[in-house]
Amino acid sequence: MSDPNNPIPEQDPVVHSSLSKPLYISAALLVLCTVWALYDEVYAMRPWKSYQSRFAALYSEYLKKITPVEEADETKVKASGEYKRMEQQMADLRAKLGPKMSEMEREINQVLTPKIIDLNNAYQVLRSEISALTYQIEVASSDSSKNSLRADIEEIKKRMESVSLPEPDGALKKYEYSYAKMEEDLAKWRERKTQLLDRLAETRKPIMELDEKMSRFVADRGPELSGSVLRGLRAKLDNWDISIRQIHVRDVDLVDRCESCHLGIREPVTITAADMNGERAFTSHPRKELLKIHDPERFGCSPCHNGNGIATSSVTKGHGRHKYWLWPLYYPENVQAGCQHCHVKEIVTEFATALNEGRELFRRRGCIGCHRYEAYDRDWEELVATGQTIRNLEQQRADYQREIGVSTRRADVAKENSEAQRLYQHADNLRIRISGIDSRIEQLDLRTSDLWKEVKKVGPNLKDVRLKLRKEWVPVWIKDPHAWRPGAKMPTFRLTEEEVRAISAFIWQSGVNGPLAKHPQGNAERGKEALETRGCLACHSIGEGSQQEGGDFAANLSRMGEKINYDYMVRWIDNPRQRTLPYDPHEKRDLTEEDYKKAGVPFVFDNEHTVSPVNGRQLLVQNMTTMPHMRLSIEEARDIATYLMTRKRASFSFPPAGFMDDPKLKDRGRFLVRHYGCAACHEIAGLEDEQRIGTELTKEGSKPLERLDFALLTHDAYKEGWYNHKGFFENKLKNPAVFDKGKEKTDPLERLKMPNFNLEKKEVDALTTFLLGSVESPLPPRYHYNPPGQKQDIIEGWWLVRKYNCMGCHQLLIGQETVFMKMKRYEDPDWKEQRPPSLIGEGARVNPGWLKEFLENPALSESNKDRNGVRTYLKARMPTFYFSDGELRKLVLFFEALSNQAQPFIPSRLDPITEQERLLARALFTSEGAPCLKCHATGDPAHDARATAPNFVTAGQRLKPGWTKRWLLDPAMMIPGTAMPSGLFAREGDRWVFAGPLPAGFQNYRKDHADLLVRYMFSFTPDELARMRSSARSGN
Amino acid sequence: MDWHQLWTILATPDNVPITLLLFVIPFYTWYGLRQSLANDRLIEKLEADPALAKTHHRKTQPYRPEWAREVHVWPYLLRIEFLAAIIVTIILFVWSIVLNAPLEEPANPTLTMNPSKAPWYFLGLQEMLVYFDPWMAGVVLPSLIIVGLMVIPYIDENPLGNGYYVYKQRKFAIWTFIFGFIILWVSMIIIGTMIRGPGWMWFWPGQTWDHNRLIFEVNRDLHEILGIRNRWVAFFLGGGATTLYLVGAAIGIHKLITLTPFSKKIYKRMSLLQYVTMQIFLITMLSLPVKMVLRLLFRIKYVWVTPWFNI
Amino acid sequence: MAETNGNSGNGAPAGNGSGGKSVLTTLVEGSKEVKDRALKEIETYKKPEKTDLWKSILRVKHDETPRSRALGVLSNVFLHLHPAKINRDAVAYNYTWGMGGISFYIYIVLVFTGALLMFYYHPSKVVAFRDILYLEHDVPFGKLLRNMHRWAAHLMVITVELHMFRVFLTGSYKRPREFNWVVGVILLVLTLLLSFTGYLLPDDQLGFWAVTVGTNMARATPLLGHDGPFGLELGMTPFNDVRFALLGGSIVDSNALLRAYIWHCVAIPIIASAFMVVHFWRIRKDGGISGPAPVMLESEIKERR
Repeated sequence: MSDPNNPIPEQDPVVHSSLSKPLYISAALLVLCTVWALYDEVYAMRPWKSYQSRFAALYSEYLKKITPVEEADETKVKASGEYKRMEQQMADLRAKLGPKMSEMEREINQVLTPKIIDLNNAYQVLRSEISALTYQIEVASSDSSKNSLRADIEEIKKRMESVSLPEPDGALKKYEYSYAKMEEDLAKWRERKTQLLDRLAETRKPIMELDEKMSRFVADRGPELSGSVLRGLRAKLDNWDISIRQIHVRDVDLVDRCESCHLGIREPVTITAADMNGERAFTSHPRKELLKIHDPERFGCSPCHNGNGIATSSVTKGHGRHKYWLWPLYYPENVQAGCQHCHVKEIVTEFATALNEGRELFRRRGCIGCHRYEAYDRDWEELVATGQTIRNLEQQRADYQREIGVSTRRADVAKENSEAQRLYQHADNLRIRISGIDSRIEQLDLRTSDLWKEVKKVGPNLKDVRLKLRKEWVPVWIKDPHAWRPGAKMPTFRLTEEEVRAISAFIWQSGVNGPLAKHPQGNAERGKEALETRGCLACHSIGEGSQQEGGDFAANLSRMGEKINYDYMVRWIDNPRQRTLPYDPHEKRDLTEEDYKKAGVPFVFDNEHTVSPVNGRQLLVQNMTTMPHMRLSIEEARDIATYLMTRKRASFSFPPAGFMDDPKLKDRGRFLVRHYGCAACHEIAGLEDEQRIGTELTKEGSKPLERLDFALLTHDAYKEGWYNHKGFFENKLKNPAVFDKGKEKTDPLERLKMPNFNLEKKEVDALTTFLLGSVESPLPPRYHYNPPGQKQDIIEGWWLVRKYNCMGCHQLLIGQETVFMKMKRYEDPDWKEQRPPSLIGEGARVNPGWLKEFLENPALSESNKDRNGVRTYLKARMPTFYFSDGELRKLVLFFEALSNQAQPFIPSRLDPITEQERLLARALFTSEGAPCLKCHATGDPAHDARATAPNFVTAGQRLKPGWTKRWLLDPAMMIPGTAMPSGLFAREGDRWVFAGPLPAGFQNYRKDHADLLVRYMFSFTPDELARMRSSARSGN
Repeated sequence: MDWHQLWTILATPDNVPITLLLFVIPFYTWYGLRQSLANDRLIEKLEADPALAKTHHRKTQPYRPEWAREVHVWPYLLRIEFLAAIIVTIILFVWSIVLNAPLEEPANPTLTMNPSKAPWYFLGLQEMLVYFDPWMAGVVLPSLIIVGLMVIPYIDENPLGNGYYVYKQRKFAIWTFIFGFIILWVSMIIIGTMIRGPGWMWFWPGQTWDHNRLIFEVNRDLHEILGIRNRWVAFFLGGGATTLYLVGAAIGIHKLITLTPFSKKIYKRMSLLQYVTMQIFLITMLSLPVKMVLRLLFRIKYVWVTPWFNI
Repeated sequence: MAETNGNSGNGAPAGNGSGGKSVLTTLVEGSKEVKDRALKEIETYKKPEKTDLWKSILRVKHDETPRSRALGVLSNVFLHLHPAKINRDAVAYNYTWGMGGISFYIYIVLVFTGALLMFYYHPSKVVAFRDILYLEHDVPFGKLLRNMHRWAAHLMVITVELHMFRVFLTGSYKRPREFNWVVGVILLVLTLLLSFTGYLLPDDQLGFWAVTVGTNMARATPLLGHDGPFGLELGMTPFNDVRFALLGGSIVDSNALLRAYIWHCVAIPIIASAFMVVHFWRIRKDGGISGPAPVMLESEIKERR
């Protein structure tokens, strides 16, 4: 066909067209692709290779830099006279022992060993031959053949082998050997060899020891790293091999290759980013001590830090920051979240300051009120549980009663005598059971009263509002607490004006009216002094802005005068635990005087009178506040109250609040109060056992991201890169309303309820850390921190220490700061003495039995409570916390465990002190050289006014002898900067002798002086004290 | 216009094949039809000129009598196959170096993915779930599709167009197939991948896939719309409606089959069995778009509600 | 060659040693003789295609003669599905689109990569997912392997569908190729199933929910599914219906994983291969590929039988 626009070619296109060009091109491309794939495999997907080479370069450079420095001070050490002396010794030793040793070595290596080897070869040949024959004997059938074989063996044994053995000079010499002879010689020579080896070791010993000593000497005084170590490191770098560094823990199927890039982590040198010119990936682990506790070989990295341990293809992948990876690496500010993975049961974990802060906030700021969190509210939960158990038991009891009745009746009408007997028997058994139940109920009841002592509320008891508060102030506060008092514990709820009115009306109207004693005014001046010195500021703060001073555990007391009622204030300071009316959890109401009248019992309720007149159950007899009883005189209480009343702005006014008495608002208010969960933190009439309104957070960190409602912010979060748990928590905490943004919610009740705590960045981070760490840990339970024995006591104890803020006054952790240390006044040297004692090592110091007594009644006296039991000279007052027995037990165990004391405590027996020893001791005490009585109280008021140390009378029951002696010998070691002088005693042979001028009579006293004093103290009595005082006076 | 969203959809590694389809299918459709039209022209020419028809080699490919009618497979075919193999390999290489196969979180039965989608080639079926009950969309229709494909050769009685691209001679067949394959199958896949977002809701391209999105749509059954309460009346009404459709569709299709004199001729050649089978399959195929219209435009859920099944 | 080697091996045959010649001389001669032979043979090795070894492997000499070209195809097990010669136009890409061949090639690629992947994969919960991670990070070229397998699978679905499209457009399913079309359809379905069963194997959310959605349709099978029409009437429960059979359980769990694995790696490939053999065989038996055939005119339609 002839088509003009595409004419038919001459040549057949099918046959003559060539495909070679496209073939070549595509082949070339294919090759390229292969190369590309190869590159991708070897480099693009293996960024760690370049990291490693970079590290090697930087690191060796750094080592070069530091080596001279380190070596310098090493040489300095070696130059020191002592080291030189040791070197000299070493030289002498070598000179003395050298020849002997080399002689022995020569014999071993050149004579014995070669001979043994050669002879042994020959011997083995024969032996194998024989054993082969022996086997044949064993399997041979007929005795004749057995015998012939035996004969053969004998043959062999007789046979003479010629063996050539090396002489010391190396020449070979032929010997004729029979099998037996061989065995004999071998044995002999081996024997000899071992002997020699032992002797050699024996001889070498002194040299070894000295060498050891020298290296320790260098290590102790020398640089961080000895030159040898450094040389080792550099050698390692010189033949550096680029390869995956991985930790593999098989049983958890854990593979962490983090160290393929983070090569510095476990280096013995401390490497900072600066050393590696800013490469943060190469620094060594910032907390080496942590790695000591958690050996990376066992724990790996990702269990604490998260991230994708296997991945090595890119930083994002390795850090698990890519989509679909459930465990992204923690950011620095949240890194301690990792601790929470396993240290779930703790509230204080050493090293994890931020995490501890988070836990503490979660408890103290009342998050726990709305959000359940495993183990954070044990006392309430236990209380409920016990209540339940008691009910069940009573039910059972009733059932038994009925059954008893039934079976007795049946027995009465039974035909068979045996039948009747059986039934009576049954009834009796049931009676016994009932008695058992009763005893159990009794126990539970005791526990209940304990628990009623233990349960605390985050916020104040709102039943007392009418007695306590200025009416107009209430709505102002409810509207926005932070507006009235910045940093207040109570959060700001998103309330409409109407809601505020309703709530305050309800609160006001549900308040109780009770007896409230009137008090005369006190002296504000003295009040101020008391407030600042009695220890109120350990928990409370006062003053605003820069003036603010004191602890943040409890409310800030400025502006108190604007809201409070004086008389209530006095009562509160006098004893905050004192309730207006007791609460009966079974009646679910406060009992009034009438109830007691009806029952015909006096209207008294306190820790001794905790039984309800209505139903004989345990009552709540004290306010659920952690604030302790300061045991101040009523006058002092008045002074402080008076002072506080003066704390107010120059001019302030609150809008009138007449509506608060409007009964119409009450129901609405009640509804709202329940809706917003106020009862979570406050005790409110009628709402005592409200349920939590928030979600449980125990495992919040591992909740699927899809389940966290980012609402309309989802896409912004996604684009801005905070679509993750961290982002959710942080934003929620910063502004709890954030996820309502843009939502159309006409009814305010539909809005998110969580109130705004106005947290600072630091606090947000702390809480985020805590929540991020709250995960369903993928690790097996044995990784979780659940230590046996005393460590448990410590865990338990910390909860209490936190609960009652012991650390406000006392130092419990090394390096921890108390509020007192931060207060200006207490920086003055005269006032340093006034700081409450440090409790580090308390367990080792005091007798647990005494400790329990003291914690229960810090006054250590029934008559006069307005005093400190031990340190009478302290202005700050150790208050009465009304601990429950359970708490007491926990605390004592805690202190014992903290200074790992054996449980139970058995006092060591001291040999009794003789009369004449006592005289000596007394003399020493009162002597010029021993200034004991200068500081230690003696009970003589005139003297004690100046005393700054405890009285000896108590020492006997209070202290542990062992500690006392150590304290006498070197107090500064235990409490640096203590007023107690050190170096009072000097070592003299096997005993300690008083360093100062010895009083007469000591010349021929051969025993240990320190011991003497200890024994003296432990046999101390008030009248001995008197005698001592008199002698002291006579003395000077 | 949310470009970010659009990009995430298109760039999702598993969606790349569909993106590919978007280009490949139209190209080959054009590529094939172009040759069909060329052949049509040739046929016209030959019809017009019987003499030429005798002599002509009847192909659009260039031809000279002296050229060999047959060529050796080696090298003339094999070299092409070889080339093709290399090119495919290259494509695969590049594709798998550049794009990583997806891997999401470990399977978690308690956490439903939204939207949770079947692999792309089954998205057609998943999309059908919107319009039919699972037993229909998931089981009956797929099996019908398979069987339908299988029977094609046995019901297509048109002897023309065997072994060469042609349009005029096979208008009906080609349209049916294009309708079934491209309009229904492919476009459903594309809808399922690109349009259907969280909650299997309809998102236009470039619309943000918002998990909180709520849309107002009530789908009611036909009888509800007509306000019929009684079950049995409803039952018969639905049955009636369905039969109505069947009859209507049958007639319509018949009209189509016998549209032109040529197609009449083909129709004559068909046995009754062939005709009926063809009708059945075409009717069912047609029911899908019909149902789509009913659902998307008139918001009708079921036409026919029975105690055992709903359509 | 062999025997020559043998000879040269044992040097001078003892027989030659007879006669007066001294052993030495015979040895010398023998060695000379061996040397000559060796040289001769080396000559022959200059033309490897002449050696028996070569001939034993490749029976045909590759010159351009039509005969050897034909033999080249016929005598090659891989090529013999092809005829020696084909219609000159059948090589035209614009006719075949090459989709059938490409699909087959991709299938081979899949088998190859798949087999390699099987070395690193355990079809059991938890382990399965970890294996994928290891594939991605540890196994040399593991990532590439996995990607290739997945993308090839996707590509195959596309090419197969295009192949069908082409075959339809050219009406190649018509007499005598009806049955091969049917086989083709089956192959299409198998392709989809292969791809689908592979989806679950990584045991990640994607696969898990895809399979859940997929198999949930099965529960609605009429008569055989517990949600399907007349299912309940026939006593179908989640624990005895067709879905249960597919998953080996009422939920997508380790059993489902194992089943998917077996289907994906053993059962379906075998079935598919069988059908492919049929498919290719039938192409030949039905007279090679359908065209491009000379166009047919309406006027030439013959009445049926």
